[in-house]
Amino acid sequence: MNRPEGGSWIVGVDVGGTFTDFSAVNDRTGETHVFKRPSTPDDPSRAILDGLREMAGACGIALDEVSRLAHGTTVATNALLQGRGGRVALVTTEGFRDLLEIGRQVRPHMYDFRRSFPAPPVPPERRFELAERMDAAGEPVRAPAEADIAAAVEAVRASGAEACAVCFLFAYLNGAHERALADALRAALPELHVSLSSEVQPEFREFERFSTTTVNAALQSVMDRYLGRLEEGLSAVAPRASLGINQSSGGLMSVARARNFPVRTALSGPAAGVVGAVHAARSAGFGDLVTLDMGGTSADMALIRGGEADIAYERAVAGFPIRLPQIDIATIGAGGGSIAWFDRDGLMKVGPQSAGADPGPACYGHGNTEPTVTDANLLLGRLSPRGLLDGGMRLDEGKARAAFEPVAARLGLSVERTAEGVLDIVAANMIRAIRTVSVERGHDPRGYVLAAFGGAGPLHARDVAAGIGMREILVPPAPGIVCAEGLLVSDLRETFTRSERIAVSRKAFPRIAAILEELEEQARLWFAGEPDAEGRRTEVSLDMRHVGQNFELAVALPERLDDLTDRFLDAHEFAYGFRNPEDPVEIVNLRLTAKARLYRAPQAELPPADGLPAPREHRLVRFAGRAFAETPVYDRAGLGAGSRIAGPAVIEQLDATAIVHPGDTTAVDTYGNLTIRIAA
Amino acid sequence: MTALDPIGLEILANALRSITDETFAALMKSAYSTNIKERHDHSTAIMDARGRLIAQAEQSLPIHIASMSGLMECLLARYGDDIEEGDIVIANDPHTAGGTHLPDINMAAPVFVEGRIVAWVCNIAHHADVGGMAPGSMAGGMSEIYQEGLRVPVVKLFHRGELQRELFDLVLLNVRLPNERRGDYFAQVAACNLGVRRMAETIEAYGADTVLAAFEDMLARTAGRMADAIRAIPDGTYRFEDVMDDDGIDTSDIPIVLTVEKKGGRASFDFSGTAPQVPGNINVTMNATVAAVTYTLKALLDPEVPNNQAVIDCVEISAPRGSLLNAVFPAPVAARAHTCQRIIDVVFGALAPAVPDRAPAAGNGANTTAVFSGIDPRTGEGYLYLETLGGGAGGWPGGHGKDGVQVGITNTSNLPVEAIETEYPLMVERYGLLEGSGGKGRFRGGRGLYRVVRPVGHDCLFNGAGERFSNAPWGLAGGEPGGRGRFALLDGSGAETPLEIKPSGVIVHEGEGLRVETPGAGGHGSPS
Repeated sequence: MNRPEGGSWIVGVDVGGTFTDFSAVNDRTGETHVFKRPSTPDDPSRAILDGLREMAGACGIALDEVSRLAHGTTVATNALLQGRGGRVALVTTEGFRDLLEIGRQVRPHMYDFRRSFPAPPVPPERRFELAERMDAAGEPVRAPAEADIAAAVEAVRASGAEACAVCFLFAYLNGAHERALADALRAALPELHVSLSSEVQPEFREFERFSTTTVNAALQSVMDRYLGRLEEGLSAVAPRASLGINQSSGGLMSVARARNFPVRTALSGPAAGVVGAVHAARSAGFGDLVTLDMGGTSADMALIRGGEADIAYERAVAGFPIRLPQIDIATIGAGGGSIAWFDRDGLMKVGPQSAGADPGPACYGHGNTEPTVTDANLLLGRLSPRGLLDGGMRLDEGKARAAFEPVAARLGLSVERTAEGVLDIVAANMIRAIRTVSVERGHDPRGYVLAAFGGAGPLHARDVAAGIGMREILVPPAPGIVCAEGLLVSDLRETFTRSERIAVSRKAFPRIAAILEELEEQARLWFAGEPDAEGRRTEVSLDMRHVGQNFELAVALPERLDDLTDRFLDAHEFAYGFRNPEDPVEIVNLRLTAKARLYRAPQAELPPADGLPAPREHRLVRFAGRAFAETPVYDRAGLGAGSRIAGPAVIEQLDATAIVHPGDTTAVDTYGNLTIRIAA
Repeated sequence: MTALDPIGLEILANALRSITDETFAALMKSAYSTNIKERHDHSTAIMDARGRLIAQAEQSLPIHIASMSGLMECLLARYGDDIEEGDIVIANDPHTAGGTHLPDINMAAPVFVEGRIVAWVCNIAHHADVGGMAPGSMAGGMSEIYQEGLRVPVVKLFHRGELQRELFDLVLLNVRLPNERRGDYFAQVAACNLGVRRMAETIEAYGADTVLAAFEDMLARTAGRMADAIRAIPDGTYRFEDVMDDDGIDTSDIPIVLTVEKKGGRASFDFSGTAPQVPGNINVTMNATVAAVTYTLKALLDPEVPNNQAVIDCVEISAPRGSLLNAVFPAPVAARAHTCQRIIDVVFGALAPAVPDRAPAAGNGANTTAVFSGIDPRTGEGYLYLETLGGGAGGWPGGHGKDGVQVGITNTSNLPVEAIETEYPLMVERYGLLEGSGGKGRFRGGRGLYRVVRPVGHDCLFNGAGERFSNAPWGLAGGEPGGRGRFALLDGSGAETPLEIKPSGVIVHEGEGLRVETPGAGGHGSPS
């Protein structure tokens, strides 16, 4: 790859609801810059293009030296949440046009019959059937007739759809019928976007596959328009920059892939944060983490083992089930704006209702009078009245107190004890969510490090870590911009899947080897289309189960296929506590993940500390079970590598506040990470 | 001991929910049978030392509540203090062990802290077969519980951590597909052991006395919350009556009659006037009647109230001994879910004048069951595929009834068509929503489902159980009734032969098909 003398710039840009964050690194010098500007929700590309120009001016970056822009987008997610997907038609196997509507025949809440799932993205009048059928072995039972295909094409045309989802039973085993229809659709309707279930998500279980494919189709036109605008603008602003789009599995994909498979971006928001946190943790020497990304309205938590995030396959966005590889993240309504309230039985709850950013917590003084988590932090001295962005927005302690007084009176407790209780409850909610991604998956998180980021993560990390029995907390150098940094260091990533049931025995090894060879070939073709990528590697994971089970475990391919059954039994014993060697084992899916590193710049090092700087101030802070005490407050920017601080202390930076509790200690490493060790 | 304030209670309640959810996930994942893994026909809970329900997994099934408290009552009566650490007690019998039907295998394990029992962890899983005359142990046409499967009284499957092998061998010898059953039993055992470990950790962290006091506080708060909700219902006497289609043997149009007396914060639900128990298997033991009424009250009055004993105890519920809703030995009860579904409709109907803004019209009022079994020609081994199909949900003042969903006490998911055809020698030819089956109304009733299944390469056996096949789901406030369900055999040409409401032992030959149609639901409000 041809690089200019002065190096080229890689830019990560993460578009959030309020701010668009930029993180730039020079691939030769390691020089880094971060930049933040308000988002432009009506057309998010405007904030990106304007922001690039603004950052270039502010930081002295030549935009024609930007070689890559790694982009995390919420365009797809927002389109789903706001019901702004494109006009979609569906063609499915004869006899099954209602399947998408029936789903799994369940209601969203056992007791509340008033609640419903959202209507599918395709109304009944745009759902068409085609007489065709594959059997459970992937053999055609009935091939679609030419005349029937023509009739289906005409029906789709007449429906006025912008996109068409083609979803046939058992297409994950054999997509020939789907492809036959797709060819006819594309030939007759060149403007139509087409999504095939055998391409979007070639896996077992029709409803989840059909739902994912239909959502993909609904997003195709939206994403196509958005990426078109962005590419056009980018060609003028940063003409040498190639664009990579973040996907839910925590890797980047090409623009062409994002156009074909926009659903892969629908869950990508939190993924970049996880990748960024893993990167920071790696530099600090940690591989086993729990990530805690807490913002204004929600908190995202994920488990990382050996530097790799666990992958999950199913989740709903705006009520639509989506089955795709995605970082296994638990999300709950716990953030700085979460409101404390009393349930009907008098128990106190916090969230999921949030005051959000506007009007925000009571202390913002923008009209909310209900007590929030941020108000509690302010009342306990954890947050400075100078507020976030270092004085850019002052926090009104009187308004926070006024919001808490009625609650405290009802409990018969002091305002401070009530505020502590609110923090305890919000921590308990996060602990429960972390348990779902750790112990419920068979992993004991106690030896793990809690990587806390997002505006509110470092404030609450200690309560969460201690509640789980974790001993160390990592706060990355710029907790508020971890997502954009994650984009910078994201791998290009693509997963190739073959869904096939194979009974594990020596007889099956040639078949397994043949499938793996086909997947490797697909990966080779994909790599060939990504010339900039370095450090190419592939990993194989097999979804396996005992015959008769319907729940699979992912097992990494061992060096010798002879060990496969043992590896599965190990995984089964680990996850479920028992081992049945006499029961036959089968493979359900074979997945090959191809990864390639984009050029990764050397990481900038922090100058060594010249002693501990003087605290910027002392303020009264209250810690659990203690009275308010004068506590030193440090400016994180002044802390050099090797600085050590014994708690109690507060460490403030532009967009986050970290708390070192009494007895705990913290140290700053060469890369600016803060590691807090909890007292035994 | 420290008494927990409303903050501390919330945090403890959170920890308890976490334990029930973790054990729920563990049971689901390690079970063998589709019914548990895919359809989640299982529940987990924490009980106190007196057998009162304290917390339940979020996804637990309402009907299972009653079995768990029923088991605990019988277990405490049977063993008293003769319980040791590492014991796991099992049972399924509805007449002697608090169960509601035999396929639900109940398990309970004591949580010892400092030498005393502070709590119990319980779980229930619906096993796809527990022996008896017909595969699946759910078929109609039987008149005694002995025919429905192996009756397991309250017994220790584990004693001081040791599996009682002789007992387990006896159990497994009496069920079909013993390997699958063994896997499901072990999944339940694993969930018990996990729950005991987690509970012990939690109790040790708080101290046993603090936890026990918190249990009392939680129950008292829930009781107060339910009493408030009941107080808001206008005082008065409310009556309603509905009719079950048949018992699958010789009794048709079986009335269920309810009289509700409501005064202040108290209410009584009296089912006097309900038919005597019937020869067929739709009888309900008292525990299941309590579960159905409890479910309805929670759904109608306060869907978010924590599920604990105080919800179960919030009203008085009675039914004449020996009646359909308080059946005694030797009544068969396998299909009790149908009747529980109808109890729910009856409670909604009775309370509709009292809470007209919330009560829905009748739902599909059934637990339409289809069981296919035979020898898989691909492997030469026996197979059994059981599924319960949803139908319409009643229209209510605020929304149309949902189409093709499970209603009432059940919310089990369907089995994917691709899973059915991969695992069993069956082909699903069509699966859809039944046009016209939703009762008209200002708020339309939900539509029923239809499905056509054909055996592939062999002849198979079909057993089914339907309800609301002759008595349609009623509408409310001028809404029209919904459509009825039916079973039919399709010959090669597609010609239909109607089957009974609860057919058993129907041979479906290769080339033939079986059509299931489930009931829709009543509409709410005048259609015009």
